[in-house]
Amino acid sequence: MTMRITEGMTRRTVLQDLGATKGRLSQMQREISSGHRITRPADDPFGAGRTLQLTGELEGFKQYKSNADDGVGWVTATETALSRITDTVQRARELLVQGGNDSNGQVAREGIAAEIEALTESVKQEANVTYDDRYIFSGTATETRPYELGANDEYAGDEGTIQRVIGKGVSIGVNVNIQTVLGNGAAAKDDKLLDVLRDIASDLRGGTAANAEALRGTDLERLSANLDELTRVRAVVGATTTRLETAGTRLEQLQEASLNLLSQVYDVDMPEALVNFSSEQAAYETALRAGSKLIQPSLMDFLK
Amino acid sequence: MGVSTFMGLQTALRGLIAQQEALDVTGHNIANANTLGYSRQEVTTSASRALRINTGSSAGNGKAELGTGVDVTGVTRARDRFLDLQYRAQAMRLGGLAARVQGMESIEGALAEPGETGISKELQTFWTAWEGLANSPEDSAARQAVVEAGKALGVSLAELNQQLTNAAGVAEGEYAAITGKGGEVEQKAKEIALLNGAIRTSMTEGAEPNDLLDRRDLLLDELSKLGQVSVTELKDGTVEVGFGDAAAPLVSGTEVDWPQELTAPKGKLGALLELVEPGGTIESFRAELNGFAESLANAVNTIHTKGGGPAFFTYEAGKGAATLGVAVTAAEVETASNGSAGGNDIATAIGALRGGAVDRAYASFVTRVGTEMNEAKNGETNAQALLNAVEERRESASGVSLDEEMTNLQRFQRGYEASARAMTALDEALDVLINRTGRVGL
Repeated sequence: MTMRITEGMTRRTVLQDLGATKGRLSQMQREISSGHRITRPADDPFGAGRTLQLTGELEGFKQYKSNADDGVGWVTATETALSRITDTVQRARELLVQGGNDSNGQVAREGIAAEIEALTESVKQEANVTYDDRYIFSGTATETRPYELGANDEYAGDEGTIQRVIGKGVSIGVNVNIQTVLGNGAAAKDDKLLDVLRDIASDLRGGTAANAEALRGTDLERLSANLDELTRVRAVVGATTTRLETAGTRLEQLQEASLNLLSQVYDVDMPEALVNFSSEQAAYETALRAGSKLIQPSLMDFLK
Repeated sequence: MGVSTFMGLQTALRGLIAQQEALDVTGHNIANANTLGYSRQEVTTSASRALRINTGSSAGNGKAELGTGVDVTGVTRARDRFLDLQYRAQAMRLGGLAARVQGMESIEGALAEPGETGISKELQTFWTAWEGLANSPEDSAARQAVVEAGKALGVSLAELNQQLTNAAGVAEGEYAAITGKGGEVEQKAKEIALLNGAIRTSMTEGAEPNDLLDRRDLLLDELSKLGQVSVTELKDGTVEVGFGDAAAPLVSGTEVDWPQELTAPKGKLGALLELVEPGGTIESFRAELNGFAESLANAVNTIHTKGGGPAFFTYEAGKGAATLGVAVTAAEVETASNGSAGGNDIATAIGALRGGAVDRAYASFVTRVGTEMNEAKNGETNAQALLNAVEERRESASGVSLDEEMTNLQRFQRGYEASARAMTALDEALDVLINRTGRVGL
């Protein structure tokens, strides 16, 4: 026997179908207006979890990028200070060569010594440079001035390194331990820059033949060695700058890739969604029209 | 044996009566075309007992049976008991899944994931604050930002935890309202008991109380949405109704035994119980949320105390989500294990927790809520489709088709007219017999 079809069944079927189509339309509407494929975890539980992780990853990349940018600022300030120190030392070297020449009398040497002392002060001043209100040459003791101006040449900072994280598990030290270049002055006898500059001044003032010999010999050698060391440190700083800048560019690319991935999981493909929406809407209208034709007539319309 | 002169009139009368009753029932069907739970009714008729007559002929031993018309033997309802059982099983499933979806919707909504306002966003802000602090450990504003981000996380976790409590409260309230005094279960049980009494009376008088049976079936359908219903039909027409896993029958004859203890009643009540019971859905969500809050606090504290400083977060063990708080002031935030102003190893290490086990724990919590919600929703859709299919078949067997009733109306109307015509024909024949016979020549 064929199935009996009653008005109630027709009505229910039409209503169910319309309800289902309308439900899909409202879901699509929600997706299109939010721009996201996932508006609640139940829409796609694994996609939702993935979205959270990818969002975190993206935030991470953004932060690494800003770390790298901050690091570039830091090393640029370092490089500027080191280049000024180099200039100063070169000037001191010129003065030393001039002062080593015996044709200069003691008076002239005293004058040169005074200038060397002024240069020593300016080297220390450069070492006290700040970036964003922090002493960049104090290791991690960024609120302590590395060198006091005046006679005390003792380094006041520490030997800590300051790191910038530029990737997951990748960090790079951005500070230079200036103690390795400037040292702790004449008292420490460490052959570092301040020690040498102080020795030069005292040799210039000494006035003995041994002093003059030292000026021409060991002092010049030691100063040159320090110049070489400065150049080496600047090369390291330069390399750090390059690394940070490369990392910045790479992080931008990673950010882009991560955004793409996130978009694939999380975002609505708009053209597709809009096409689907229109076709679903057309289906809804057709269903309404068909439903109205199906529900209205009955045998009563045809019986006399 | 001869036949009464007026027998034909009686035969026609029976026809008239039967057609009229059929017309009445058709009218009843049409009137109830949209009544919930109504089963269409049919008049059953059979030919009435024949008269044995003598034909006076030798053929057939001189006997024959003369039909006497039609008898109405009853009014029956078109109903398939098997479909009722199927319907109730699906209604129970649907009731349970719909209640589960409803109960979890508020939790899913409170998560607000993925989005700009959920905990994941605040977690990212927290990590970013630490990384910002790592870039400028001397900055007191950066310290304050870390403390504020930590506090915001605590507040959001507590809010989400409160939402879980609220959802449990709503489910408990609904369960109490349905099962309590004067609740839906008791109301329906009482009506079934009353109907049992009325049906028994009708049955002992020999009539089939179709409309009462329909009403009772409808109540059983509705009851099955709330919990598992088992129905035993007894000979006197009453039903004994077992409900859920209650020890005694809910309805027995005209007696109602309620309230009773339920532990796993299935249906809507079962789903509500499952949401709130110990080890149930909400509690397991809460446990996972607590686990996340505590693993966050422990991971941060382990690093934060490395230099001998205080713990960053405090929480009450086992109640992490509700009690997570920041234990330090901005000045007490540790950035370096050696205590130096510009050192950032602690801040860097905490910032590097981003994307690690803590983030994954939260993402997997969200995935789990989503998965359970998704399963419940799919189950609901599926149960709804099955219920629709059963209902369609039931409607096909029991529903009123107006086309059919119109056809019947015509059929019975014609039958009535024809019976009346038969009576008229007999009347005319009797007129000849009574008024004209023996009047030759008058």
